[in-house]
Amino acid sequence: MSEDGLLGRLYKNGEIIVEEGTRSRTMYVIQSGKVNVVKNEGGMETILASLGEGDIFGEMSLFDASPRSATVKAIGETRVLVIEHEGLLKKIKMDPTLAFRIIKQMSQRIRDLNSRLSAAQRTINQANNILQQLNKNKDISIEDLDTNLHSE
Amino acid sequence: MVAAKGLILKDGARVAIIGGGPAGSFFSIFASRLAQDLGKSLDVTIYERKTFDKQGAAGCNMCAGVISESLVQSLALEGINLPSSVVQSGIDSYYFHTLNGSIQIKSSRLQQRGIATIFRGGGPLGSHKNAIQSFDEFLLQKSVEDGVTVKHIMVDDINLEGDKPMLYSGGKILQDCDLLVGAFGIKANTAKNFEKLGIGYKIPSTIKATQSEIELGSDWITKRFGHSIHIFLLRIPGVKFVSVIPKGNFITISLLAKEPNINYIKDFLGHPVMKKMLPPGFKAPEKFCHCFPRINISAAKKPFANRLVFIGDASSARLYKDGIGSAYITSKAAVHTALLQGVGEEDFKKHYLPVCKTLNRDNIFGQFLFFLNDLISCVSPLSKSHFKMIQWEQNCLQKDSHYSDILWDMFTGSRFYKDVFLRTLNPWPIIHHWVQLLHLP
Repeated sequence: MSEDGLLGRLYKNGEIIVEEGTRSRTMYVIQSGKVNVVKNEGGMETILASLGEGDIFGEMSLFDASPRSATVKAIGETRVLVIEHEGLLKKIKMDPTLAFRIIKQMSQRIRDLNSRLSAAQRTINQANNILQQLNKNKDISIEDLDTNLHSE
Repeated sequence: MVAAKGLILKDGARVAIIGGGPAGSFFSIFASRLAQDLGKSLDVTIYERKTFDKQGAAGCNMCAGVISESLVQSLALEGINLPSSVVQSGIDSYYFHTLNGSIQIKSSRLQQRGIATIFRGGGPLGSHKNAIQSFDEFLLQKSVEDGVTVKHIMVDDINLEGDKPMLYSGGKILQDCDLLVGAFGIKANTAKNFEKLGIGYKIPSTIKATQSEIELGSDWITKRFGHSIHIFLLRIPGVKFVSVIPKGNFITISLLAKEPNINYIKDFLGHPVMKKMLPPGFKAPEKFCHCFPRINISAAKKPFANRLVFIGDASSARLYKDGIGSAYITSKAAVHTALLQGVGEEDFKKHYLPVCKTLNRDNIFGQFLFFLNDLISCVSPLSKSHFKMIQWEQNCLQKDSHYSDILWDMFTGSRFYKDVFLRTLNPWPIIHHWVQLLHLP
C-alpha cells in the first residue's frame, strides 16, 4: 500500500482518537485500520464496538453538544478522515440525503444495542432463575439436615 | 417542445447517461441508491466510448486531477472511500511561491491529508503499467456494483420520438429513454447532437489550459514537494498562475495562460524559482505527456427539457476549481429532482435550475476574488505586505488565521466563493492583523 496515497490523520496502536467526557463536534470516517469504542466505568474498560474501514464514529456529537460518551482507540496503525462539523451541517442543509448514511449507521447501532441488551436481559433472567433454584435447594437441604438431626 | 407536467420515473424506468466521467458515474450511483431507498428499480445505462485504464490522452479525461477537501469528505459520507491505489498523493497543505519568497499554508480547521490527487486515466505515457488506478474507472466500477450497465459505445445521434429521447449508434437504435442525462463534459461534437434537438440547450463557453506530466520519481517528489500542492504566482508574462500537483512518480503542471502553448511549460521549468524544485541537472525531456484541457468559463444555456437533464461541465461548473465537486453537486441535484419531483421541464426548472444558478452566481464572487489575487500579485508593495502577513499567521500558528484560511479556501475550492468573499469584508480581523503587522520587528 502506498503511504503517499493515504488520506486523513494517522494514529498509532492504542492511541486515543476520541476521549470520553471531552467536548468536540467532529466526526470521523475510518480510511484504513480498526478502532475500538470503549467505555470506562469504575476502572473497568468495556468494549462497546469494534469498527473497521469505511465505518463512521463520533456522529452523536453532530446532533447534540454533549461530551463524548465513549473513548475511541486505534487498534494497530489507523487512518481516519476528520469531518468538519460546520462544513458538514452546511452540506446537509443543501443535500439532506447526505445524512442518510449517518442515520442508517446510527439505526444499525441501535439495532445492535437492542439485541445486545436483550441478550444481556436473558442472561440476567437465567442467572436469577439459577439463584432462585440454588436458594430453594439450600432451603430444602437445611430442612433435610434439620429433620435428620431431630430424628437422631 | 412543450413543457409537460406529471412525467415521473416509474418502477423499471430506463435511464441513459451519455458520458462515463465523474458526473455520469455520480448520477448513476446516486440514482440507483435513491431508487432502492424508494422501493423502485431503475434500468440505468452509461454510454462511454473510452475505457479509462489506458495510458496517455487515449484513456484520460484531462483535468488537473484534484479532489477537494469538501468532496473527499462528502464521498466518504456516501460510503465512497478513495483507496490508496486511486489517490496518488494525500495533500495537507499548499505552498505559494512568489517573487517575495515561498510560504506553506495549512488549513487551521483540520490537520490532516484531506485533499486527494488522482489521475483521470491510466496514468501518463511512460508510467508503470497497472501501477495507477484511474479515478474515473474506479467510479465506473462503483456504478457497476450498484447495478448500472456500462456500454463502451459511441452515441452518435439523438432524436425525440413521441415524448421520449431515442439514442442511435451507426444508424442503429440503441434504446429509448424515460430520462436522458447529458454528462459528456464540454465535448462540442456530442453537444451538437443535443443542440440540434431545438430544446434551447447550448454548451458552456470554455478556455484551454495547458497541462503536462513530468516524471521526477516519487522519492524526489516526496522530498522536494512533500504532500503539498504548489501554486506559483511569478508574474510570468501571459501566465495567470501555475500549479504543480504531486502524483506518485509524476508532477502535474497545470498552467492557465492567455493561450494554450506547450512552450509555457518549458519556460516555467526553466524559471529560477521552479529550477530550485527540480533535481540537479534536470533537463526537460524532448517529449512528455501533455494536453490542453478545456475549462468552463460560463454556464450552459437551459440545461434541461422534458426527460432531459445536463450535469457536470455540460451544465455548470465552479470557476477554475473543483470541477469534480461541481459534477457531484449537479448530479445529486438532478437525481433528487428526477426521483423525488419528476422529469418534466417544469420539475427541472423549479428544483434543478436553482442549484445551477447558485453555482453560476458563486462564480461571480470567484471572478472578483481571482481579480483581487491578480492585483495583489502584480502590485509589489501589496504583494509584500500580504506575504508578510500570511507568513506571520503561519509562524504564530494562530487559531484564527484569517488570511491563510481565505487563500486556502479560494485555492482548494473547499468553500463557496461567496463564503470566502464575505470573509474578506470582515473588518475586524483585517484591522487586528494590520495592527499586529505594524508591531512586527
